[in-house]
Amino acid sequence: MTDLAWFGHDVFFLGRRTIRRFYRVPSNPVSIVLYPLIQLIVFSQLYKDIVQLPGFGGGSYLAYLAPGQIAFTVFFAVAWSGGNLLYDYRNGYLDKLRIAPISRYAILAGEFVPLFVECVVMAGIILVLSALLGAPIATGLPGAIAVALLGGAFGVAWSGTSFVPALITKNEQATGTLSILFFPVAFMSTAFVPTGLMPEWLQMVNDWNPISHVIEAMRSLMTVGVEWDVLGRAVLSIVLLGLVLHAVTLWAFRRLTD
Amino acid sequence: MSTLEVEHLVKVYPGGTRAVDDLTFQVGAGEFFGFLGPNGAGKTTTIRILATLMRATSGRAWVTGVEVAADPATVRARIGFAMQTVAVDPLATGRESLEIIGRLYRVPTKELTTRVDELLALMGLTDVAHRKTGTYSGGMRRRLDLASALVHRPAVLFLDEPTEGLDPQSRTALWDELRRIRAGGTTMFLTTHYMEEADELCDRIAIIDRGGIVVSGTPAELKRSVGADTVELRLVADSGDDVVEAQDEVERRLDAFPPLTSLERTETGVRLSLVEAGSAIPELFRRLDGDGVAIRGLTMSEPTLADVFLRYTGREIRAEEANQTIELGMWG
Repeated sequence: MTDLAWFGHDVFFLGRRTIRRFYRVPSNPVSIVLYPLIQLIVFSQLYKDIVQLPGFGGGSYLAYLAPGQIAFTVFFAVAWSGGNLLYDYRNGYLDKLRIAPISRYAILAGEFVPLFVECVVMAGIILVLSALLGAPIATGLPGAIAVALLGGAFGVAWSGTSFVPALITKNEQATGTLSILFFPVAFMSTAFVPTGLMPEWLQMVNDWNPISHVIEAMRSLMTVGVEWDVLGRAVLSIVLLGLVLHAVTLWAFRRLTD
Repeated sequence: MSTLEVEHLVKVYPGGTRAVDDLTFQVGAGEFFGFLGPNGAGKTTTIRILATLMRATSGRAWVTGVEVAADPATVRARIGFAMQTVAVDPLATGRESLEIIGRLYRVPTKELTTRVDELLALMGLTDVAHRKTGTYSGGMRRRLDLASALVHRPAVLFLDEPTEGLDPQSRTALWDELRRIRAGGTTMFLTTHYMEEADELCDRIAIIDRGGIVVSGTPAELKRSVGADTVELRLVADSGDDVVEAQDEVERRLDAFPPLTSLERTETGVRLSLVEAGSAIPELFRRLDGDGVAIRGLTMSEPTLADVFLRYTGREIRAEEANQTIELGMWG
């Protein structure tokens, strides 16, 4: 086998372990899906009439809310993702992996590949439940798959917000509490209201808020159709965000394993 | 070339601590070699350098002829390392834990199942193989960890304090397992601060203190180097009997007996300190032969490694709390 094939082989087995660790603690998948779902159901009832405000363009608030809640699922799936690696570092398992004849980047990839899968699946679940509750999917099945894939890609890019604190602080509590700092980024996004209803400074923030761009792309796929410019902005946000965060993650991981 | 070859190894930590200070030693193929020393002596640092987890500040080391710093990947494929802190994944079962390690070491699929079964049996874990390791006892976790260091049949096995924290029964059981592994031809490098462990298992020991080797040799050589063995002679049948006369006679006959370094009277006879008692005893018997002295019993004891450690370091070895360093960054 070539080096690349072995790399894939190692990532597969490491990734399988990561996935196992995720679902063997049932509270992980349950709470990650349940929270956004509750938010979706409660808010869509509570603020049912909000769509009559200018900026929404009518429709149902549920349909408006659903893409944001998909983003929220991904956001939560990622919030603690760096914790696994930290746990392995703390209990010595990372050393065990480091002395195995594998590339150390396989260890990192063994976290990111499953994270992508988890995010796609979680996003898929919210998407299906939203559809059952009545949210439209204008682009049909291909669009739905695109939404889930966008969620997965965004999850991997955004996971730097958990990996960087984990690898730099090497402290579970700090990693947990620092992730709270990223919550406002989700709440300030266009998950709940369009930018038109936001104060000017928040509109400016959202021009640069990657979560908003991802939500807008999902929303357009669900309610409008394929809008390449909106999709392009989302992909660009994910790529740029991923490049920046993962450059730091890589640096911190190298520092930890040198 | 020896299986392990270490030349002038030095490790200075960023804080300035000289953990390993100019170490040089060799371990031959199939040998069971031990580093005996107190916590903080540099044992773990040395083993982590040899196992490619840490870089030396200076000096060189070879494992199976491969230089550790130059080609860590090749070294990794040939070694197994049971670390001081047992690292098992609590959410994986015993079998899964061994399987993933086997996969990462590229053990062929067909061979892997057999190998895992074999190791589970060797470590007495077959019955619990399907249970998550989070439910295992400390001893079981230790054994699983050791098994995971053996999945790929390494040429060299590093063991960092392998029985730390085990109860005496589990410890003896683990010793048996280590002897079995060694019987298969594996070169063993062990660190310990338990005298008894080094004595029981090792062909050769290096006593390490403050980052350097103080003395090395076989356990027997080391003990001999400390000096005399103790020989106790029982001269009367019952402790109530008059022994003084016999004691006087022994003292007279052993006057100017070269191996004798001291003579002490006991309730039933004498306690002698003899250099190389094993070879001195025939001459001892010749001297004591004849009327007036009847030897009714003899016990002989060698010095222990504890005596050796005390002699060479001037301190007594004792088990202190683990020297784990806990890293706390600015956010911690």
